[in-house]
Amino acid sequence: MSKYHIGTAGWSYKDWVPSFYPKNQSAGFDWLQFYSHYFNCVEVNSTYYTYISPQIVDGWIRKISDADDFLFTIKLHQDFTHKKDFDQQKIKAVSFNLDTLAKAERLGGLLIQFPYSFPFDNSTADYIIKLKNIFQTYNCFVEVRHKSWLKKEALEMFKKLNLTYCTIDQPQIGEAIQFEPIITNDKAYLRFHGRNVKAWLQSINNFGKQQSYTEQSERYKYLYSPGELVEIDQKIKSIQEKVKEVYVIMNNHPQGDAIANAFELIHLLEEKDKVPMPSTIVKAYPRLEEIQLLN
Amino acid sequence: MRLIFHLDLDAFFVSVERILNPKLKGKPVIVGGDPKYGRGVVAACSYEARQYGLHSAMPIRTAYRLCPHGIYIHGSHGEYSRFSDAVENILKKYAPIVEQASIDEFYLDMTGCQKIYGSMFSFASFIQKEVWRKLSLPCSIGIGSNKTIAKIASDCMKPMGITYVLPGMEKEFLAPMPVETIPGVGKVTLRDLNSKAIYKICDITNLPQEYFAAAYGKYGIDLWRKANGEGSEYLTIRTAQKSISKETTFDEDITSDDFLKKTLFELSGKICQSIRDYGWVASTVNIKLRYSDFQTLTRARSIKPTDDDKIIFETAWSLLSKAHTRRVGVRLIGVGLTNFSEYSEQEFLFEDEDIKRKKMFRAVTRIRDKYGFDMIKLPTP
Repeated sequence: MSKYHIGTAGWSYKDWVPSFYPKNQSAGFDWLQFYSHYFNCVEVNSTYYTYISPQIVDGWIRKISDADDFLFTIKLHQDFTHKKDFDQQKIKAVSFNLDTLAKAERLGGLLIQFPYSFPFDNSTADYIIKLKNIFQTYNCFVEVRHKSWLKKEALEMFKKLNLTYCTIDQPQIGEAIQFEPIITNDKAYLRFHGRNVKAWLQSINNFGKQQSYTEQSERYKYLYSPGELVEIDQKIKSIQEKVKEVYVIMNNHPQGDAIANAFELIHLLEEKDKVPMPSTIVKAYPRLEEIQLLN
Repeated sequence: MRLIFHLDLDAFFVSVERILNPKLKGKPVIVGGDPKYGRGVVAACSYEARQYGLHSAMPIRTAYRLCPHGIYIHGSHGEYSRFSDAVENILKKYAPIVEQASIDEFYLDMTGCQKIYGSMFSFASFIQKEVWRKLSLPCSIGIGSNKTIAKIASDCMKPMGITYVLPGMEKEFLAPMPVETIPGVGKVTLRDLNSKAIYKICDITNLPQEYFAAAYGKYGIDLWRKANGEGSEYLTIRTAQKSISKETTFDEDITSDDFLKKTLFELSGKICQSIRDYGWVASTVNIKLRYSDFQTLTRARSIKPTDDDKIIFETAWSLLSKAHTRRVGVRLIGVGLTNFSEYSEQEFLFEDEDIKRKKMFRAVTRIRDKYGFDMIKLPTP
């Protein structure tokens, strides 16, 4: 049976107080440390926007020192995936942090996420090969969002390059890929963006406009229902025998939906009758009471 | 002898609502219409609500009068479908053939599976626990030699019950039950049966089949057979394709019966090969006959599910020869199959009937898969 790494995309959200992080926090209270008591993985998304300083990465490693199996997956900076504007200095900045995490045995891999406007063709395929050559020493999880990537030759390329095809669940608009786990090497990486079609369409219309955090994150506001989670559980289990590790990342972060769903998926996927979780999340999401492990 | 399970999810809609909102546990919950407007009927109600006399299909207005403090929910139908599909996926892991009879009912054909799973009662208990453990859904299971017996049995010990009607005990099992226990006996039939002093199932079996045939026609025969413990033994699977047929338009109008027979035999062979390729058996054979003046006749007959060329051809020929009464040339004939179910390998493995013939057809299929249909021909009649 494969090992599950279940967590969320990011941990630093103010609107997770008080639904996950407690309202009254002592001076030394640290969000990542608190998070690592409950989950064994987190996807770092801030690395998509900025080149994080090595000191910050050292701090992360220190903070999760009590969590034996905890891993980080790092989202590649947008300069590489969206702007396609990078140089040796930027490569070094990314690689240095990845190497630091790898050395500490805390690196799950590198998430390379491309936009919907990156369909499969010769030039995009070549671009992926180029990035793979740069980051070949790391586990690379590649997320593409356009249906054209489901072609046999595209998936064959993933297999040949030993890239992990990142399975996504996203609102079904246009040629968006539907949720169906696909395996291209010995790992599976699944990201859940929610199914908020209305807000997703709105965000497409507002593309390029100045927006508040709430407006920006609205498209990820979605709480998966128990029935949807059961479907997801069965689909993931259908591929678990084919891989060694399964990463499950909830990106439906607004207000803590991702946290609630991640606990529910730990319950389903790891077949744990009860799951340790803080009372804050049970208060915000009463249906979790059924699976909460009481101390 | 077949072995059929009927798995019935107990108060399914209510069980799902309680997963969505655990605070509903232990309370009288009613899923269905809106009591404020007094419209609709009870789709499902919890066992707590049943204590007030509520039951499925009761008008919501009546339900509200009996249980005004109940919690009335309109229903989360998308969620019900998801959980129903999840149950089906679990069952398919263990049962060779699964038929979804409705959103909360499934038949499993477990014939021959004792050799794999051992005691069928213990296996039913395992399935029940598995559905509960994985989905938190309670269910009851009935086990019998046919679908009717299994369905009635599953209703005997609700909730979370298991009832196994041993082969040969079907009639005794049914005898003391009220006639409305038989699936398909509605209010009108019940009233009519009661007017004939028929209250229990044994009241039906104490009368000859001819009595019911005369009173209710084909339905009466079916009712009598069910009361005697007989019922459908074959599961229906969902197939995108509803029918398979082959037909031939002759270059010139045909008057020779021998030629028609030979053509029908070839057509039967081809459609049988098609369903064997799909791994199906069919339980209805139909034929088409078109005369030179374009008058077209169709006929159909139900048979025991099969993929056997000989049986399909003989049924088709019997239908065609009876329908073909005019002394007019025939322009077209065709044969078709409908009502498919999945070919049951376990029957082939563990039962004696027609084993040689079935083995031969599997071998013929393999040869035709490799070398084409015409590589091997079966003897014409």
